[in-house]
Amino acid sequence: MTSRATFRSLGDLELCVEFGDRLDLALNFTVLALDRALKSAGVPGVRETVPTHRSLGVVYDPLLIHRRDLEHLITELVDDLAELTEFPSRLVTIPIWYDDPWSQECARAHGVGNNIDYLARMNGIDREEVMSRHSGVTHWVSAVGFQPGTYQAVPLGDMALTGPKYERPRKWTDPGIVCLAGSITSYYPVRSPGGYQLLGRTPVDLFDPLCRNPVFAESPVLPRVGDRHRYVPIDADEYHAIRAQVKAGEYRYQIEDGVQRLEPV
Amino acid sequence: MTGEVNIFEVLEPGLQTTVQDLGRPGYLADGIPPSGAFDSLALKLANLLVGNPPGDHVLVGTDPGAAGLEMLLVGPRLRALSYTVIAVTGADLRPAVNGRPIPLWTSVLVRPGQEITFGAAHAGARGYLAVAGGLAVPAVLGSRATNVRAGLGGVHGRALRAGDVLATYPITGSPVQRAGMRVRADRLPGRPGDSGAVLRVVLGPQDHLFTPDSVRTFLETKWRLSPTSDRMGCRFIGPALHFLPRPDYLVDQAGSDPSNIVDDSICIGSIQVPSGLEPIVMGVDGPSLGGYAKIATVISPDLSVLAQLVPGDPVRFRAVDVDDAHDAHVAARALVTTDSVEKL
Repeated sequence: MTSRATFRSLGDLELCVEFGDRLDLALNFTVLALDRALKSAGVPGVRETVPTHRSLGVVYDPLLIHRRDLEHLITELVDDLAELTEFPSRLVTIPIWYDDPWSQECARAHGVGNNIDYLARMNGIDREEVMSRHSGVTHWVSAVGFQPGTYQAVPLGDMALTGPKYERPRKWTDPGIVCLAGSITSYYPVRSPGGYQLLGRTPVDLFDPLCRNPVFAESPVLPRVGDRHRYVPIDADEYHAIRAQVKAGEYRYQIEDGVQRLEPV
Repeated sequence: MTGEVNIFEVLEPGLQTTVQDLGRPGYLADGIPPSGAFDSLALKLANLLVGNPPGDHVLVGTDPGAAGLEMLLVGPRLRALSYTVIAVTGADLRPAVNGRPIPLWTSVLVRPGQEITFGAAHAGARGYLAVAGGLAVPAVLGSRATNVRAGLGGVHGRALRAGDVLATYPITGSPVQRAGMRVRADRLPGRPGDSGAVLRVVLGPQDHLFTPDSVRTFLETKWRLSPTSDRMGCRFIGPALHFLPRPDYLVDQAGSDPSNIVDDSICIGSIQVPSGLEPIVMGVDGPSLGGYAKIATVISPDLSVLAQLVPGDPVRFRAVDVDDAHDAHVAARALVTTDSVEKL
């Protein structure tokens, strides 16, 4: 593999292994390949890894491994990485009530217009087209983090829909809101500040500190780097029906195992 | 768990009092920060004083140690429900038992019915209270640490409230034997002098995106802690920092602000500079991923210094290389042992 890693410091406990500065599925595949190789190498002192769009964060214990030795080892792993052309990937279906009343109110409360209207104007399309373009492609989760359950997903294929971040970030966003900036889709698991354009609200929890549903057996966070998301538009009645099931711990998450191939996007 | 002993009734909760141990490593890839005591050195010493396991180290350790209380600026009022031994460390929040002041960095016997009170901080920001046996709350993802924003750990994922009853795990032997210990004078954490605190940093991971002049400004400025600071992040007030020109694709992909990057990993201690204004040092509840350039990262031994700053305190950032940062880390860890405490 021809990838070159740049090592960047995150203090005395973490090393950033960077493959580039841009969004690119090929970079993310390299990150995932290195993550897999590093985990199977079982390096003493490597505590955890944080895959992102374009870099792998490696948390290590300096009592057990020195930075220079870790860099040597990772350089060798990168040199030996096989060309990765496909990756196991779950397909997670996420229902969204686009342009829901909470998103509308949140925009109003912050003195900006309806975000769906704004995206329609920015992209020269009508409101319905905003929702159908967003739900019309599959999205690839290439980073997880910020807050528990927050993720960032990039469209697999031409979505033809982009939006800028807010110039002045919001003070709050309701939990469950799905949002867009550039072509990245993200999600607010808990009430939090933010600057992405509001798309709609999902009744499905992607973070549950109480782990009430079996889907949270391993972690209170559902999204993982390497998941694919399919967003399905729902109406108010469907939203409330699904929300009731989620609250009762009875919702059946729609998750299918599969594979994603690396193809030109 | 059986054998838990009710130990305190919370009469007044204080400004923000939370149950903390050394935190919850291993979940950064889920977006779950480590949390735990912001001044982990103070909590470790408090635990050693009362005969509890101090645990290992934030983020890279394998043992979170016993849980105690972290108290911000204004401490709680607690009524003891059983005989126990406590130790208060960190900021001086003027601890007292039944109105009589008790020394910091020392273990003290407390009898049922006595009230443990605190005044307002007059040195430092965060006090720690350890109790023999360690606070008994359910471990969540391997730790008892509270993350209020995510609702994880501690007492129902929140700060203490009046009426809460806290329990400890049972101890072997009499609590009396654990009283009367103090921290050795040469193991007490130093306090910043009048010229202010110095936080050691390793430059990067994105110092190369700032102008060289701004990197110099960052290291030469006397910054002041902003009141907009908490366990997620501590903001510093000072001059604006500037960025080098960026390629156009980053404007589309990362955002129009010159400080925007395509999101990548953040470590506790990392310093984001959104729009070049008010550098934010990420705290123990900080985000795991972010889209702003990080000029440097405060090294882990100095997070305890950061945790004790109050708004307005002056701070300088001093660059060290990775070798020096490792040496400082190893030296700081070696200083916390059972030898750190002695009989009065």
